Amino acid sequence: MAAEQPFGDPPPQITCAGLSKSFAGGMQVLAPLDLTIAAGRTTALVGPSGCGKSTLLRLIAGLAEPSAGSIGIGGVSPAQMRRSGAISMAFQDPSLLPWRTVRSNIALAQKLVRQPADPAAVDHLIDLVGLTGFGDTRPAALSGGMRQRAAIARALITRPRLLLLDEPFGAVDELTRRQLAQELPRLWEPQGTTTLLVTHSVDEAVLLADRVLVLSPRPARVVADIAITLPRPREPLVIHRAEFRELAAEISAALAEGAGQPPSQAAE
Amino acid sequence: MTGIASHTVRPGHAGLTAALGLLILLLIWETGARALSDSYILAAPSEVLVWLRDNRGLMARALTQTLTNAAMGFAAGNLAAIALAGVALVWPGAQRTIMGLALLVFCLPLVATGPILRVLLGPGNGPQIWLAALAVYYTTLIPLLVGLRAAPSVWLDLIRSYGRGRGAELIYVRARAALPYLFAGLQIATPAAFLGAMVGEFTGAERGMGVLTTRFIRAMDVPAVWALASVAAAVSILAYAAIGWLAKAVLRDKPPIILALPPARSAHGTRDALLVCVLALLLWWGLMQGLGLSRFFAKRPGDVFDALFLAPDAAETRMVLLDALIQTIIYVVPGYLAGLALGAGLAVLLILAPALAAVAMPVAVALRSVPIVTTAPLIVLALGRGALGTTTLVAIMVFFPSFVACLHGLRQAPGQIMDVFDSYAAGPISRLIHVRIPAMLPAFFAAARMSVPAAILAVTVIEWLATGRGIGSLMALSASLSDYDMLWASVVAVALLSVLCHAAVAMLERRVLRVFAAEQAVT
Repeated sequence: MAAEQPFGDPPPQITCAGLSKSFAGGMQVLAPLDLTIAAGRTTALVGPSGCGKSTLLRLIAGLAEPSAGSIGIGGVSPAQMRRSGAISMAFQDPSLLPWRTVRSNIALAQKLVRQPADPAAVDHLIDLVGLTGFGDTRPAALSGGMRQRAAIARALITRPRLLLLDEPFGAVDELTRRQLAQELPRLWEPQGTTTLLVTHSVDEAVLLADRVLVLSPRPARVVADIAITLPRPREPLVIHRAEFRELAAEISAALAEGAGQPPSQAAE
Repeated sequence: MTGIASHTVRPGHAGLTAALGLLILLLIWETGARALSDSYILAAPSEVLVWLRDNRGLMARALTQTLTNAAMGFAAGNLAAIALAGVALVWPGAQRTIMGLALLVFCLPLVATGPILRVLLGPGNGPQIWLAALAVYYTTLIPLLVGLRAAPSVWLDLIRSYGRGRGAELIYVRARAALPYLFAGLQIATPAAFLGAMVGEFTGAERGMGVLTTRFIRAMDVPAVWALASVAAAVSILAYAAIGWLAKAVLRDKPPIILALPPARSAHGTRDALLVCVLALLLWWGLMQGLGLSRFFAKRPGDVFDALFLAPDAAETRMVLLDALIQTIIYVVPGYLAGLALGAGLAVLLILAPALAAVAMPVAVALRSVPIVTTAPLIVLALGRGALGTTTLVAIMVFFPSFVACLHGLRQAPGQIMDVFDSYAAGPISRLIHVRIPAMLPAFFAAARMSVPAAILAVTVIEWLATGRGIGSLMALSASLSDYDMLWASVVAVALLSVLCHAAVAMLERRVLRVFAAEQAVT
């Protein structure tokens, strides 16, 4: 499986310099942003809804063009990185193709980046995301959470050097979410993947990330940069530990401060 | 879901209810025919069957001929539609122009293009195949264009995020996402192809069902005319059902009932329209020049202009043309409005009486697939050659698509809003007025728009075959007198009339939808 066959090239570092984005009509989504995201680590972007997190992810994926500034991923542009097939992205919407089964949706990603088909790896991932027995099911017959897990499996099958996750656990139930949060890092850590996770769940960020960047409301700027030093692997129950709660409280306070509210209100 | 959905028949029962509806229809037909047995109007189903048994050789030969022509036209027209949609996809800037030209060509009256093609292509099957192709390509092109753009943008982002481009988008997403729309278009195209082939045969072919139809009308052979119309209807319904079955097998879903693309408002509407006109004139001129066709019958735009404005008898030509056009408008407008009103009205009625809808809906869908124009002779037999027959045919032509579209639209009422109304214990009338009818409007207008060329086709065919009035008759007369100036001028006039009416309905549609269905209106 993936872990035994690390991708040839090392995971890339991401550097954003003076990055900003405005939409037609002049709405500024990102203020000029300078950011370095470490290679091979998991970084979480946390911020209020509509603050521009998803836009930042789309810019890094090369799916949108910045209005100003630049992005370098391992020394190349997002578009070049994307064309090399080294990026995988899991969208907010699972966006499974409804006419393909779970298995063939996952296998499609390999086909798109021109990797040889690997049915054994597909089946292994299906088991891992808890969809055993649903390989031949079409998305319409799955629950929202199951669809999102299939989309995560699809994002992982290509062993990407850069993994972009846009609120991938939105529709996953709490129990499964914790389970996945424990399992998934095991998948992408050994193969050396730079992971960027967008979420508005503080707990999810602390559970998954090595570093949490807190963004302000639109236009987004970084209001806090918090290192998560909890040891790995992190068991689901880690969220009840005092260190975990302290980190979560720190992030919540930064979120509230960024939004212009007194921190006391945010702790509630 | 509330209301009708809970009464919708289960798949196993659908066939049964449809059969029941058909049986009731046959019974009414048989009884009616026996009651009117001496009036040379209606042949009973039993008489039709007897006639078919006695003339099965003749019928089989004619049917084979017409089916072959229809199938070839079907293939050619749909391939052209797919090619045009492909061009619009690769070159999005050209989409408006392509759609404008496609509409204009679709609005050319088959009744006139038939004789013109007959002269251009000579005897044989050419005109029938061409007319069948012309009758189908537009109804496939429109849903296909919708379908190719129907894929959510995030699916396309997914493909792009793996570093692939438009080719992969087309292969893995767009082509497959457009399939249900393509099938819906093909389904509507089957009866249209049959209709086109028959109209082509009306224009002087040697064999085929259209030839037999004109012969038996002249002979007043009532059972034969009814037999021909019944066979045309049955074949169309079967072909329609076959495409539906194929779609189900391929897609594992029923093809959706696709309503035409709501016309997008353009900032450059006038410029686009001018561009389409100029291109159409150039295309017309280029085709005639390129093929080196004789100016005697293959008129160029300049010749028509001369005939209408510069020739010594230009004033008289304009007068005759305008007279005929006004007569046609007088017939077509009441029929068109009556068909729309009846379609919408019956759909509303059936929503209030859901049990009835279960029986009526399959019958209506089946009858929608009948090439109505092939029943023109029957309506003339039944209602005479006057205003009533013409108006009725136009109304029937408009009725079925509007009825099916409106019923579909009424059922589109969002379930959650219906639940809100339920929670206030709102009655069916209140739900109808506040939720269902606004939800129906987009479907109603789509049907109204697409019915314009159909209504004009119906009126010109019946004028040509039977009433001897209006622009259809003028075209027939001009063709038989080799007055090609008048024939081409009529073609231009009818096409312009269709396009203008189409644009007028579209304008009204945009205004109404902006108020009642803001989220569905394309701005």
